[in-house]
Amino acid sequence: MIDLSLPAFADIDLANLTTLSRDDMDRLPFGVVGMAATGIVEVYNATESRLAGLPADTVLGAHYFSTTAQCMNNFMVAQRFEDEPLLDATIDYVLTLRMRPTPVKLRLLKGAESARHYVLIQR
Amino acid sequence: MLSDLESEHTDLLQFLYACPVGLLQIAGDGTIGLINPLAMQLLLPIASVPWVTNFFDVIGAYAPELRNLADAFVGPNGPICRAHRIFVSAPSAREGGDDAKVLACTLVKLGAGRLMATIEDISKQVAQERRLKQAETWFASLIDGINDFAVLSLDAAGRIDGVNPSVTRQTGFAEADVLGKLLDIFDLPDPESSTLSTPEQMASARREGWHLDEGWRERRGGARYWCQRLIAVQSESDGDNGPVISGYTVILRDVTRQEFDSAKLRHMLTTDYLTGAYNRAHFFDVAERERMRCSRNRNPLALIALDVDHFKQVNDSYGHGVGDIVLKSLSAICKIVLRPSDTFARIGGEEFVVLLPSTDLVGAAQLAERLRAAIATMPIKAGKGFVRVTASLGCAVMATDATAVTELLAEADKALYEAKRLGRDRVVVSSCPRAVA
Repeated sequence: MIDLSLPAFADIDLANLTTLSRDDMDRLPFGVVGMAATGIVEVYNATESRLAGLPADTVLGAHYFSTTAQCMNNFMVAQRFEDEPLLDATIDYVLTLRMRPTPVKLRLLKGAESARHYVLIQR
Repeated sequence: MLSDLESEHTDLLQFLYACPVGLLQIAGDGTIGLINPLAMQLLLPIASVPWVTNFFDVIGAYAPELRNLADAFVGPNGPICRAHRIFVSAPSAREGGDDAKVLACTLVKLGAGRLMATIEDISKQVAQERRLKQAETWFASLIDGINDFAVLSLDAAGRIDGVNPSVTRQTGFAEADVLGKLLDIFDLPDPESSTLSTPEQMASARREGWHLDEGWRERRGGARYWCQRLIAVQSESDGDNGPVISGYTVILRDVTRQEFDSAKLRHMLTTDYLTGAYNRAHFFDVAERERMRCSRNRNPLALIALDVDHFKQVNDSYGHGVGDIVLKSLSAICKIVLRPSDTFARIGGEEFVVLLPSTDLVGAAQLAERLRAAIATMPIKAGKGFVRVTASLGCAVMATDATAVTELLAEADKALYEAKRLGRDRVVVSSCPRAVA
């Protein structure tokens, strides 16, 4: 069931992400990973937890690009968060969710509205 | 609450997500079944497409021999290769040639149609090894015997102004033969070598303080011997202007007794396992050296990129065995058509390049056309019948001093793509996208 009251993958913005309740965040049909500028995971929604096969409490507080998502630790994703002051880009990518090569769309968000950087993952 | 099994499963997943080595499980044809994030991190940037689903397709562009090694492995299980080195990108001249990207791949056959692969980025180790190996060779030679050393001194202009008696013993040249001459009197034309020329080595010594080299040198009368050579700079302080070069000390050492191993090792390191063409790593070595030489001498440097047309269909219709025969036959015929000064290399699955020193675009196009015609008329025996293949070729020439080898290759590739687009079996020249055949 698609919940029409919630913003879609392509439309959601940093303002939405900072104001959504925790329950609503978990009900989004795509994965949401929010991290501090240091790369430490602060938001990990239920959809992403299910896709990756990892309970949220095992990911929260860890460094995302070095422990959970090494496949994004390159110039295409992690480097862009470092280099670009404002970022809203959607890219085709392949993740290794539960060690299976999985084509996904990634949306990378960074801006003045939030201290957090977000990676949205749509399978 | 998680059950014990679930929490163990989570631990296992986290372990694999965080593993600092790339791990994959693949089918016999290379289809990826399982892959951890680090493996994906290493493969994605080198894949030509954003979806990485077949390991051999991605890695085949750099190390086509891996698929051959896996196919040729006959046992039911066991190690296929261990830490096999894959040269992904060439060292850039700017960084002193120590920044090549190199992966190490280990392949193990687990059972019928099931392989396990690990990949690691070993670029840093490779750069360090190179430096260490040079130093080690040198120290080993010191211990072996001081009598073997021929010592020469050169003035600031590089002319020989003094020699020890070992020089005559080792090279056959008398003192009077060499005094006042340049160091290149010991040089021998060496098309196989990827080392720097003597003036380039002296320039390197001026930059670094010393340069160590190993290669064929000439004795008086033309015989060659395998020689280790150290060029060290002598400098004197020039008051306010800092040190200036006052001359050089050159040490030569005859290591001919290692000739067999060195030559065999060099062959293994520089040629492609299947076709006998030069490999990707050697191509970039030679190309960088020729780029420097041609830009210094203001000579043009041309490149031909060659790709077999519909090669996938050949493999699909006749099998990889025939595909391999096609690549071998094509390499053989190209080597016949090409000149000794040209460097013919296999840089990907069915992609070849030819580096043409002192050749302009017109010359390259003519040579490319001869290659095209030779390939198109070549019958290749496949089982009881014959197959014919064609190839598309793109030519480019080094435009300015600033052009990097990778840019030249990209230009030639663009022309090659245009040749494919125009219907294949033709030559396209980079600067004017117009078919000449």
